[in-house]
Amino acid sequence: MRWFEDLRQRIRAYDNLTNIGEIARRYFVMNAFDGVLTIIGVLMGNLTAGVERADIVISTGLATCIAMGVSGLWGAYLTEAAERKRDLTELGRQTLTDLNQSRIGRASRTAVVVVALVDGLAPFLAAVVVLIPFFAAGLFPVITWAYYAGLGMALLTLVGLGLFLGRISRGNLILSGVKTVLAGLVSMLIIFLVGA
Amino acid sequence: MGKIRRLVLDTLKPYEPSIIDIASQLSELPGISAVNISIYEIDRRVENAKITIEGEDISYPLVEALIGEMGGAIHSIDEVVAGTKIIEDAATLQD
Repeated sequence: MRWFEDLRQRIRAYDNLTNIGEIARRYFVMNAFDGVLTIIGVLMGNLTAGVERADIVISTGLATCIAMGVSGLWGAYLTEAAERKRDLTELGRQTLTDLNQSRIGRASRTAVVVVALVDGLAPFLAAVVVLIPFFAAGLFPVITWAYYAGLGMALLTLVGLGLFLGRISRGNLILSGVKTVLAGLVSMLIIFLVGA
Repeated sequence: MGKIRRLVLDTLKPYEPSIIDIASQLSELPGISAVNISIYEIDRRVENAKITIEGEDISYPLVEALIGEMGGAIHSIDEVVAGTKIIEDAATLQD
């Protein structure tokens, strides 16, 4: 287990140097939230348009998930790499050294990869969770139930994100959960009204 | 080659890694028995650190590589003691 201890220490050292944990946490919540609200849009769009085939909902939903995942991964990689590079060069100018091969340089490159992965996977996974009922659409008597189950999953995911945020801020967990769920309910209501 | 027993270095380093990390890692290098690091000036993102190292047989290349790996730069070597024992600089009339 020595390698595991070494890895843990290295991650902690990199986290101290680049603040990976805090940034990844922020990206995770922000993008998972984005992912859930986007997939709520897709579901509500399909529902109001009267789409009754689960495979169509799954293919449009998965296509949206993939696009969000790639967008998150790519966008975060490019922006984070640019910001980190600038930061490293500026720090190197102040210490009058090339920090690329130093521990700070390696930590910085690791941070870029971790943040890009979190940014890509968070919206993808959060949205895929919402689509789960459609994979089991055959179990429901009517497709509308799968829609309701999917939207229920979306609200549950939002509650989870709210609780996570509440735990980070050490604030009121219930209030935090209500705030995130409210965003889901508001977007459902607006799409419903527009669709109707 | 005589053995280096004390090194005093003037360095410039980013805030992180902290001097706790640097002192701890320097003290694990072979031939080093004690390390003292003190900060004497703080800038916006960097700080000046005076590093004093004592040991039986200090390897300067190893020390230099470790400080570089930690993102620091050695500005000057302010004192070196080599030989079979540590001596202080002798007082002169000018002092």
